[in-house]
Amino acid sequence: MAVLSTPKSAVQLASKGRPLKEHLFRIALLASLAIALVFLAMLIVYVVQEGWPRLDATLWENQPSIRRPETAGIQSGIFGTLWIIGLTALMALPTGILAAIYLEEYADKSKWYNRLIELNISNLAAVPSIVYGILGLGIIARWMQFGFTIMTGAITVSLLVLPIVIISAREAIRAVPPSIREGSLALGATQWQTIYRQVLPASVPGIATGSILALSRAIGEAAPFLMLGAATLVRFNPEGVWSSFSVLPIQIYSFITRPQAEFSVLAAAAIVILLAILLLMNSVAIWLRNRYQKRW
Amino acid sequence: MNDPRTPIPASGIAQIGVSVPNVSVRGPEVPRTIEALDPVFTVSGLSVFYGDYEAVRGVDMTIGNREITAMIGPSGCGKSTVLRCFNRMNDLIPGARAAGKILYHNEDLYGDHVDPIEVRRRIGMVFQKPNPFPKSIYDNIAYGPRVNGVKGKMDDIVEEALTKAALWDEVKDKIKQNALSLSGGQQQRLCIARAIAVKPDVILMDEPCSALDPIATTKIEDLMQELSRDYTIVIVTHNMQQAARVSDRTAFFTAEVDAEGVRHGRLVEFDETSRIFTNPSDKRTEDYITGRFG
Repeated sequence: MAVLSTPKSAVQLASKGRPLKEHLFRIALLASLAIALVFLAMLIVYVVQEGWPRLDATLWENQPSIRRPETAGIQSGIFGTLWIIGLTALMALPTGILAAIYLEEYADKSKWYNRLIELNISNLAAVPSIVYGILGLGIIARWMQFGFTIMTGAITVSLLVLPIVIISAREAIRAVPPSIREGSLALGATQWQTIYRQVLPASVPGIATGSILALSRAIGEAAPFLMLGAATLVRFNPEGVWSSFSVLPIQIYSFITRPQAEFSVLAAAAIVILLAILLLMNSVAIWLRNRYQKRW
Repeated sequence: MNDPRTPIPASGIAQIGVSVPNVSVRGPEVPRTIEALDPVFTVSGLSVFYGDYEAVRGVDMTIGNREITAMIGPSGCGKSTVLRCFNRMNDLIPGARAAGKILYHNEDLYGDHVDPIEVRRRIGMVFQKPNPFPKSIYDNIAYGPRVNGVKGKMDDIVEEALTKAALWDEVKDKIKQNALSLSGGQQQRLCIARAIAVKPDVILMDEPCSALDPIATTKIEDLMQELSRDYTIVIVTHNMQQAARVSDRTAFFTAEVDAEGVRHGRLVEFDETSRIFTNPSDKRTEDYITGRFG
């Protein structure tokens, strides 16, 4: 009874104003998110509005033209972009994934040269794309005499996205728990069997997501192609890897720099197409990730 | 323990296991260490290094055929390190190396001609945390035989392994389901079944019950007793009662600081389990099992 007679509880359960702080913090977080989303929405609304009159079949049926901006299309740019991306995927993805496997599964991290390679891959990922353009121009187009062709563009862009592919593939491979490798090796599997049959299947969702995002970056690049002589008003579709070419960002850039109002409409319509391709690729990445993601 | 082990089919390392000696190969005599009459492993002067650090120093012991050998001791005493030498899993750790000798059926396990892949096929391992592959139950079991190029009816191999691991009745209707949907105890029995499926000679278990509840632990212990009719089992455990319940022989390890102030894992005493737990010869063993340290 003496215990119960204590007038004030020793335990302090009353609010100390935390809920308000929690609330403000939540609002700050939401506001940050809102800024990003609102600007994206504004951008999309603006380009769709602006480009709407030209979002019709003529846009991809016709080739660009200086004389008739009201009916000019972007077919060569769409095809050029698809060629570049396809070829880049063929070159950069296998190379990047194999390099990532080496770095994660084989490289002895206590050796200085392996650490040097790792450091420099991170550095490469931060190199501005125009620098890759100069590299492509100097070495691939001129010295190797590949000229201003799709091959030159694809090799250059492959080099540009390779570090990103390597880094994302490494993260996906590293996310596979070591216990899976041990389990496989303890059953008498070789290291390659373990990688091929356990590690790679388990990391495919992560690798695919990273690869698609890397390729998306390549699609949006204009700077290296400026150096590589991607012509602005190519009036024919590429016929092979040794064709000259144009890509969407370059065409958009060239439309915008022209004085006629029709060209800015055309540019907006082309931007809508470029955004559509990017959003499509990102949705595929998200779908892949959700569909095949592993829970450990 | 009295039926001689059938010779292992010859392949990769044909020399191993062709004949099983009835007389143990004698390493240097060490007091308080008994030798199994029909040894699968004969360890002599084993030291394990991680780089320059000697994690375990001078271990001598024998592992008897179709016996359960338990390795106990406080954390950091090197018992898991020694276990992982038996199937050369330590090879996977950069900088790790073993000095001394481990004979497996009289064959030097660390000999130049020995292929660690072939060693691991014969000497299976079950890990502390159940680690089923993120595949179906069926594919988990079939994985080992498949990577080892086993032909024959995979369905039968899978059923046999699951039956031996006392899991078949629980999973036979959902064999194509993801193994990660099983409970922890079932996952661990799946890992045992997976090890059995490659028809090993020895099963190493590294604290197999430490992540499991008491009921699942009992099931695994019963299973170990069952399996010891066909397999040699070496188990590392933190649970002394478990060692006392399941094992035929017990090795007690501890960590000691040498003259230079460096800690090394040492084998203190190796004897029949009943003796270790009732009448140990070494004071340190007695202190440990009575709970005075560790």
